[in-house]
Amino acid sequence: MISKEEVKHLASLARIELTNEEAAELQHDLGKILDHFEELKEVNTDTVAPLAGGSLLVNQFRNDEDSTNRIQNDAAVKAFPDAASGFLKVPPVFE
Amino acid sequence: MDLSKLTIAAFQEGLRAKDFSAREVADAYFAAIDAQNGALNAYLSLTKDLARATAAEVDAALAEGKELPPLAGVPLALKDNMLVKGYPATASSKMLEHYTAAYDATVVEKLKFERAVVLGKTNLDEFAMGSSTENSAFGVTKNPHDTARVAGGSSGGSAAAVAAGMALAALGSDTGGSIRQPAALCGVVGMKPTYGTVSRFGLIAMASSLDQIGPFTKTAEDAKLLFRAIRGKDVHDATSIDVVKKPFHYEPKKEDIKKLVIGIPKEYFIEGLHPEVAKGVEEAITRLRKLGFSFKEVSLPHTKYALSTYYIIMPAEVSTNLARLDGIRYARNVRDAKKLQELYVKNKAYGFGKETRRRVLLGTFVLSSGYYDAYYAKAQKVRRLIKEDFDTTFKEVDVILSPVTPTPAFTIGEKTNDPLSMYLSDIFTIPANMAGIPAISIPVKKYTVGSGELPVAFQLMGKHFHEEDILGIGELYEARQ
Repeated sequence: MISKEEVKHLASLARIELTNEEAAELQHDLGKILDHFEELKEVNTDTVAPLAGGSLLVNQFRNDEDSTNRIQNDAAVKAFPDAASGFLKVPPVFE
Repeated sequence: MDLSKLTIAAFQEGLRAKDFSAREVADAYFAAIDAQNGALNAYLSLTKDLARATAAEVDAALAEGKELPPLAGVPLALKDNMLVKGYPATASSKMLEHYTAAYDATVVEKLKFERAVVLGKTNLDEFAMGSSTENSAFGVTKNPHDTARVAGGSSGGSAAAVAAGMALAALGSDTGGSIRQPAALCGVVGMKPTYGTVSRFGLIAMASSLDQIGPFTKTAEDAKLLFRAIRGKDVHDATSIDVVKKPFHYEPKKEDIKKLVIGIPKEYFIEGLHPEVAKGVEEAITRLRKLGFSFKEVSLPHTKYALSTYYIIMPAEVSTNLARLDGIRYARNVRDAKKLQELYVKNKAYGFGKETRRRVLLGTFVLSSGYYDAYYAKAQKVRRLIKEDFDTTFKEVDVILSPVTPTPAFTIGEKTNDPLSMYLSDIFTIPANMAGIPAISIPVKKYTVGSGELPVAFQLMGKHFHEEDILGIGELYEARQ
């Protein structure tokens, strides 16, 4: 189970704004989904190490060198929604 | 020209025999798209300039008598979560509606190198999250076999485009079944390669430990051609692997394919399996037996837990990956924010659809302090058990055969109000992503369902890096028909 307050708290963590109706609907949906997850308690995992994924479970290393940027800087800047002098432009962080 | 029967193999022959030019075929596909896309909504945008320029290059090279790469001139569709420089990549989200890709995805770079003709970008569930394309911000893709039904998802547009003869082949991405499920529902071949085989660079990330790009084609032979063109190590994707080199290189002989032992996992033949799906899978087994394949019953005891495990791990990765879509770097839809915090909130509220929000919140929940161990850490442990089930089973058999989906294509709207029932349509495809193994959906035939006929398919899952096993069985299966 999950409370409506918890849903709203999660939404604020994720920077998502919810109306009361949306929060109620999500509370219902998430509650049902979390109930379904209860079945995992049946599985004994006391001696099991977590698996994060991947096919080759070895670290991939590369030399710590400066390399030519494949994505040209100006192309990236051009893709910014708002830029000034080659920098990303955003509204003020503080009031 | 009958585009509905054309294969990559036949196209290559025809092009070299000068039966048609690359430009003529590209134009025939654009005409087919014009005629059908209004009804099916498979494409979100077309890349006509790029397609025509590439086709002209191929025709010129051919006129000069130059050798052509295997995919030269092949008209392809790309799921709209892959970047093509200078063209939109929306991921079917309002968030990226006005975004233009600044670079090519590695798969696109490889296709351009082969001079494949990219026709356009296809519809998907928003950020590839869904099983029906009903979560697209730009309308649902309809199933070419029955337009009242879904094409599946999330790569529904790519599947429908190939099934309807609007592309000769296509690329999709598969995180929990997003290539295989729509392939099954639309009656085409769809393969998810081994995790790490195909670079994910330039694929808009959904769940990075599960996402993999793969082909949609009419035949397994074509899937092999396309797969071989896109695989390989990429410096821009640390999880990619050099599969054409030792020790991963694997290319069995045809006579060795016939000796492969196929396992039937009892956990995949559950109550609730649609009778026509059961019939289709039986039919496939019968045909493969006649080809001389031997079968063995096997058990993958943790199958039952794959869905819950997936719906913890995937949203956790989604919530992290999608955090970057905040109206700052890629596209800004809402501009009247006075503070940074307000900019995030307003853009996310505008840009994210219902399912996206649901998964971001679910992911935020399972990763949050106090719940992390009970959900995320637990799911990672069960993920290992699911993978170990496959490791054990692949000591007994070479390949595993199962259904792809519990039912044939469902009706539009049927599952949209019940997320859990929608999630259940991926129960047979999720385990392969959890374990990172390759899996393919191969059509059997159409069966009568309700008042119409719908395709049914079967799935083959192989060992890590053994795509050639499942593709090889697919080729033998097709040759028999």
